[in-house]
Amino acid sequence: MRRVTGLLFPLLLFLAACSKNDGVETVRIAFIGPLTGGVAANGLGGRNSADLAVRLRNADPDTKYRYRLEVLDDECKPNIGVQVATKAAASRHVVAAVAHYCSAVAMGTVDVYHRFGLPAVVWGAVLPDITYGNDYKEVHRVNGTMINQNEVAARFMTESGYRRWAVIHDTTDYGRGHNRYFRENLERYGGTILGSFGVTADQQDFNAELTKIRELKPEVLYFGGLTPIGVRIRSQMERLGIDAVFQGTSGIVSDAYIQGLGALAEGTVAFREGAPAERLPGGNSFLRAYRQQGYSDPPEAYGPFAFAAANLIIDAVEKVGPNRKRVTRELNATRDYPSAVGTISFDEHGQNMVPIITKFVVQDGKWTIWEDSDYATGKRKLPR
Amino acid sequence: MNARPATIDRVIALAALAAFAVFAGLFLELEEQWEIAALAVFAVVAFYLTGRSGLAARIETVTYAHPKLSPAMVMLAVLLVALALHESHFALLMLATVMLYVVACLGLTVQFGYAGIVNFAGAAVFGVGGYTTAVLATHTGTPHLLVLVLGGLMAALIGSILILPILRTRGHYAALITIAFALLFKTFLEVNDALGGPQGLKVPGLELLGWTFNTRIELSDDREISFFLSYVVIALLLAGFAWLVVKRLERSWLGLSMDAVRLDETAASVFGIDVARWKIFAFTLGNFLAGLAGGVYAMMLGYIAPTSFTFSDSLILVSIVLLGGSGNPLGVIPAALLVVVLPEKLQVIQEYRFLLFAVLVILILRFRPDGLLPRRPRQYFPGDGK
Amino acid sequence: MDIGVLSQFLLNGLVLGVVYAMVAVGFTLFFGVLDVIKFSHGDVLMAGAFVALASYAGLQFMGIDSPLLLVLLITLAAIASMGVLGALLARFLILPLKSAPPLNTLLATLMFGLALREAVRLFYPAGSNPKPFPRLLPTDAYTLGNFTLRLDSVIIIVVGLAAIVALHLVISRTRLGLAIRAVAQDAETAKVMGIDFRWVVLLTFAIGSALAALAGVANGLYYNEINFGMGLLLGVIGFSAAVVGGLGSILGAIIGGFLFAGLQTIGAVWFTVPAYKDVFAFAVVIMIMTWKPTGLLAERSSERV
Repeated sequence: MRRVTGLLFPLLLFLAACSKNDGVETVRIAFIGPLTGGVAANGLGGRNSADLAVRLRNADPDTKYRYRLEVLDDECKPNIGVQVATKAAASRHVVAAVAHYCSAVAMGTVDVYHRFGLPAVVWGAVLPDITYGNDYKEVHRVNGTMINQNEVAARFMTESGYRRWAVIHDTTDYGRGHNRYFRENLERYGGTILGSFGVTADQQDFNAELTKIRELKPEVLYFGGLTPIGVRIRSQMERLGIDAVFQGTSGIVSDAYIQGLGALAEGTVAFREGAPAERLPGGNSFLRAYRQQGYSDPPEAYGPFAFAAANLIIDAVEKVGPNRKRVTRELNATRDYPSAVGTISFDEHGQNMVPIITKFVVQDGKWTIWEDSDYATGKRKLPR
Repeated sequence: MNARPATIDRVIALAALAAFAVFAGLFLELEEQWEIAALAVFAVVAFYLTGRSGLAARIETVTYAHPKLSPAMVMLAVLLVALALHESHFALLMLATVMLYVVACLGLTVQFGYAGIVNFAGAAVFGVGGYTTAVLATHTGTPHLLVLVLGGLMAALIGSILILPILRTRGHYAALITIAFALLFKTFLEVNDALGGPQGLKVPGLELLGWTFNTRIELSDDREISFFLSYVVIALLLAGFAWLVVKRLERSWLGLSMDAVRLDETAASVFGIDVARWKIFAFTLGNFLAGLAGGVYAMMLGYIAPTSFTFSDSLILVSIVLLGGSGNPLGVIPAALLVVVLPEKLQVIQEYRFLLFAVLVILILRFRPDGLLPRRPRQYFPGDGK
Repeated sequence: MDIGVLSQFLLNGLVLGVVYAMVAVGFTLFFGVLDVIKFSHGDVLMAGAFVALASYAGLQFMGIDSPLLLVLLITLAAIASMGVLGALLARFLILPLKSAPPLNTLLATLMFGLALREAVRLFYPAGSNPKPFPRLLPTDAYTLGNFTLRLDSVIIIVVGLAAIVALHLVISRTRLGLAIRAVAQDAETAKVMGIDFRWVVLLTFAIGSALAALAGVANGLYYNEINFGMGLLLGVIGFSAAVVGGLGSILGAIIGGFLFAGLQTIGAVWFTVPAYKDVFAFAVVIMIMTWKPTGLLAERSSERV
């Protein structure tokens, strides 16, 4: 015992002494997201956006503290997520976390945040249970849940005159959640689902499923899942000559979707919670600053949310100091906070009550807000 | 004739253990880039030098001469490291994780190192233990100790589906069986709603003899003992148990029979060894150990989902066994430490760490094909070293 | 289900089967000469597809816009580069590990596959996103009731099968093939007979990897999309197909490839949740292995030592 501790503690003390700094206190904020593996593009976009928030703030001479982003990779796996969340939460220096793109990971880590009292703001995971499945004061979320998204999607599409759907969803919690909430909402608005097909998230070939779908002759193909297989399904639809409208979820509202499909992306509709960044003064300056920093990856759909989450935390720290309990209280009291994704107000579960769901359609290789598009004015028409 | 190693060798062995313990403790606790790099350089140099100067062989002789004392000393060392780190939750979590991986990999060692069955579904078996624990602990009032044992039994039971195909095939053909199982297991969990589907399941914390593992122990306002310490202790006990079983097995005629089966099935059967029996025994025992570890792991993390038990996770387990030196239970310990903790320590290089990790493993395999600590030839008379 | 839909399923299965068979043939070749499993095979396929995509961009930049010429050149680039990569892999990773336990080779190549995958993701511009693959084959479609046949599907099936048949002819009719077969049968004797063992191994790995590259390009042309993770499952499926067919046999690899594609298609049609199709296919594979422990076309010698 003496031998171990005798060596260990002096060394640790020495190291601790080394890391002392110059007067201004450094506050650490953790960023957790998937940086490796299949959905890494979204994780990297989120990381860059959070990093941008920290950089901009550090460049501002009026800030009370210096900020440092501790970036952790959850690999989109719950066990790794719990590991890194514990790492962040157990570290005395980390004040709060901007956390998680993958819902299954967030479901696993909310207990960790609660147990250690680390305030966390979820920036991308959309499963309702993350905020509504518990009473943890530490857990907040700036992005909306999939319930809101599908309510608007079902109403809008049925009002546009569509009645017959086929559904493909991936078998992750994300895809299945969308399948469930879309079905519930669609039934309310009088649409019918002719058939739904669960597929694995790493599947390449969808010809068999699509051949079955072609038999059903749907007007719309609803896809609940993320960009990579969204691209595959849309391009294989064309091979089989299925000319239904391709309707996606927030998971495909990404630049990668359009890059992956080229001209084929035209006319894809999708819905995402939050006001479009281009439409908001905050969002616009975010996009401009992001471009100026020259990150090699685009912010992707949830980048603005990560940026907003980081700013929310930084503002709370500026106001009440780097203390977890006070920051948690401050975050819970967030009302009408202006951000890159519109105003943020948390309800009693720490869920941002996002009033806006934005409808998107791909027009000329860009995700265009529906109301601004040629499709809304009638100049172009979706397949019928 | 002279079986007792020199006193100086024993002192060296103890010093080496202490040094390894300090190293492991620092490796778990330190975070800064340069510190990790310094530790890595130190480890490589120390490893090379001890191997080169013959120290490693002398140390190993000592451990062989004291088959009961040396594991006890290792356990004591781990306990001391854990106590030294009693406040750092994360280091303790990693330590417990390493230990549970050691248990699972000891199971794979029995299967692969002894009986020659490659198991590429290790993580699936681990997952069966975890899921069984989750379901039983959530929905029934079964005492948790029993739950864990049932988790192990369930893993052995599910694994027994594969016994017939494995008995009939060998080599790469047998490898395909477990690979196929690993892939279908994960997809099955994802698609099947009964077990929580892709969202996974919450798992209650462990309770043993009225002791709730997830409560924190406060020493004073400011200081506390991490609740992960309790998990380290139980993981350590489990590892000790697995070690005992595996070592007893290796030294007994059971181990001898399995060695014979691995090295040459035809010859073994000619000598009247029931090949199928030992294969079944090794496979089932290995799965039991992995399932047991999976149960504790699930309870420690409090949450499990299919993505934690994929084919790549199985590969991680196999890598640990191979890197350690297949068939040598001792090698599993440094290999597990390396494979579990290193990617975590590489967090600073963020998205590049898998690339680096893959390259490192290739280098080890290329330049140390028998693993870090290769298995020694069987000693028929313990202590008869040279 | 009417005949049109049935033929559609059949066509899908055929294309899948050809791609799987091309991958499986590689596994079977490597196992034949060296008794090793090169698990990075799927990722070599992926890398081949990315080389094709990169050279497409380069050629376009140079002003070449004839689809036929483009498709030939990018295929050539992919095949050549992956052939070299395969030989290098054999030279620096697989041959040095020859005396180590076979599982080490398996793990080392798996890790190489991981490294290759991560390298493409990190260093190819925006490599973590799916990439559109150009449509270079004629897409004339013939529709008959519920059946749509596109010319590109036919071309892919024909070219894929032709490549496999050509490989078979090389192995059974040429001097090189003779050398490969000699090494496969007994490396020591082959060496004694004056066959350059190392050269044969390198060449075999080059050929197998080139075939994987062709499969990668075919995959890209067929789905019009490639991504860094595409090789992972394809590799495992190719391995399964090769083993089910019987390692060491080209015909076995072809049968295995089509069998696996058939199982997946049946699974997708059969189950209401198509995601079960892989569970189904792999379960059947386990059953087949129990029934025929050395694959459908068993190796002639009962045990290799």
